[in-house]
Amino acid sequence: MNQKQSFSSAYGWFIQRITGILLAFFLIVHINVLHFGEKFFIDFNMVTQRLEGSFLWAIFYIIFIPVVLFHGLNGIWGLVEDYRPSQGAQKTVKVLLWILGIVGTFYGILAITPFL
Amino acid sequence: MYQKKLGIIQYYFDEWALNRNIGTFSWLLHRLTGVILTIYLFAHILVVSSGLWGPESFNSWLKVVQTPLTHFLEIFLMICIGFHLLNGLRITIADFFLATKEHKAIFWVAGAIFALFMIVTLSVFLPRVFSH
Repeated sequence: MNQKQSFSSAYGWFIQRITGILLAFFLIVHINVLHFGEKFFIDFNMVTQRLEGSFLWAIFYIIFIPVVLFHGLNGIWGLVEDYRPSQGAQKTVKVLLWILGIVGTFYGILAITPFL
Repeated sequence: MYQKKLGIIQYYFDEWALNRNIGTFSWLLHRLTGVILTIYLFAHILVVSSGLWGPESFNSWLKVVQTPLTHFLEIFLMICIGFHLLNGLRITIADFFLATKEHKAIFWVAGAIFALFMIVTLSVFLPRVFSH
């Protein structure tokens, strides 16, 4: 029926798996450091001590944030698609999710700059 | 097309009623935990971004999200993450290595790892709930 659309779904499926594998790594590190490693009360100084001047942590979050946002919003997209909304509704949701993802990525990366 | 006429709750209920097996159960839980984690993600970015207004703002926000109640809720966060991560890896293994026949076995392996993860989680998080 609509070849272009079915191709974009296959890409979505593939990227979801790739970002998922990446997230397994990122989340295990993130959770291990913040929920199992640190003392139970986290404050500004604690985060700064870890992140300040650390090129590796900066790169870690610059990759982590867009990947996790893409995975989450692409997942929501899959859920919306399953419910078979009209073409117009699909377009609206797609635009909305992309805006959320792009704004979230920039704001998320901006949010870690005070600690660097 | 019939789905269009049904409400979303009815759709998920029908899916479960028609296919009562581990696959449907994990599919449902995967969606539910995925939606919860995505909502959490945005809340998480918003809370962390309070640092943009200075250390005091960040610390006062972190006081709000680090209470006995939130430490207790974090156990549910760990359940969502543990399940979604392990079940996601199971799906990926089944998809990429054409292991659809083994997916049930992989589900129980993932289940065992999940149980271990939850034992560690509870041993770390429960003392936090009561240590305030």
